Amino acid sequence: MPDLKFKVYYSASVIILLIAFTLQSCDSSSKKLPILGERDWVTKKVDGKEIVDTIYNTIPPFSFTNQYGETVTEKIVEGKIYVTDFFFTSCPTICPVMKKEMNKVYKEFKGNPELMILSHTIDPEHDTPQVLNTFAKDLGVEGNQWQFLTGPKENIYAIGQKSYLSAAQEDKTAEGGFLHSGAFILIDKEKHIRGMYDGTTDEGTQKLMKDIRILLDEYKK
Amino acid sequence: MIKKAFSILILLAAFSCQNAEELKSEQYFAEGYQLYTTNCANCHQADGKGMANLYPPLTGSKLISDKETMACIIRYGMKDTILVNGKSFNRPMPANSKLQELEIAEIITYVNMKWGKDSLYTPISVVTKALVNCQK
Repeated sequence: MPDLKFKVYYSASVIILLIAFTLQSCDSSSKKLPILGERDWVTKKVDGKEIVDTIYNTIPPFSFTNQYGETVTEKIVEGKIYVTDFFFTSCPTICPVMKKEMNKVYKEFKGNPELMILSHTIDPEHDTPQVLNTFAKDLGVEGNQWQFLTGPKENIYAIGQKSYLSAAQEDKTAEGGFLHSGAFILIDKEKHIRGMYDGTTDEGTQKLMKDIRILLDEYKK
Repeated sequence: MIKKAFSILILLAAFSCQNAEELKSEQYFAEGYQLYTTNCANCHQADGKGMANLYPPLTGSKLISDKETMACIIRYGMKDTILVNGKSFNRPMPANSKLQELEIAEIITYVNMKWGKDSLYTPISVVTKALVNCQK
């Protein structure tokens, strides 16, 4: 009888240890965010040895105009992480919700020199720098941390679809005339996508803000 | 005796009548809440407080009790500058041509019972009449 008791205790403690171990390994792996998007491999020869190198999906150089009429390139996010999304100012559906959610991120990290927000309009014909300027002001956004970008339609759609893996296109059947995803996309200092979030919900935004801290911590070492 | 029974009957009728009104108000309110959430809350927000200087609040606005104007704005949208609680807003509001008169009445009911002074529903007839006038 005591033997059985011992066995029960023994196996119970093993199970508890196993659970604790699994939980811990889960925890430590979630401390680092994944790199998203398609990847490629190349073999290189270094010192006579063959080395396989992974090429990750990387955001290419870009050039757009911001709400102050200034040209903005990838240099503006050099040494910074950033959150990006797609919207248009006359959007009657999800954009107001996305801007409300993004405003939470803006307020939370206001003044942090390591984080920027880039919001691209997908209706550049209507959303000129001046229109974006008024929109930003009415939203309560000042300064340079949150950039509202406009530019040639093809370039915006191309970077949205190919690089940020986010739908952005004209669609006459969609309400407001444009189709776009409600995603917030988190980019690291190496221009890799590290997370995609539902920008139309508070849960999505809370997850994003948590991940921004995790990503900022990666660079603290 | 007959007189007494009659007055009881009248009282009963009045009572059940009020109940029916209240029931209808509850229905309009519940439907209006759903419609408001899908059609209005994106901009005016679930709490009716609007958003910064972009979209005007409904809470505290005098305009919501002007049901004729409200019906017209909901159905046909608006482009003019509007002054709400001392702040001016000039972003256009899109038309909601798909909303039926009943649905517009339900939205007006919800807004006015929630943030206005109404305790009863706004009947469809108010909306029907208003829409005839604003088309001109």
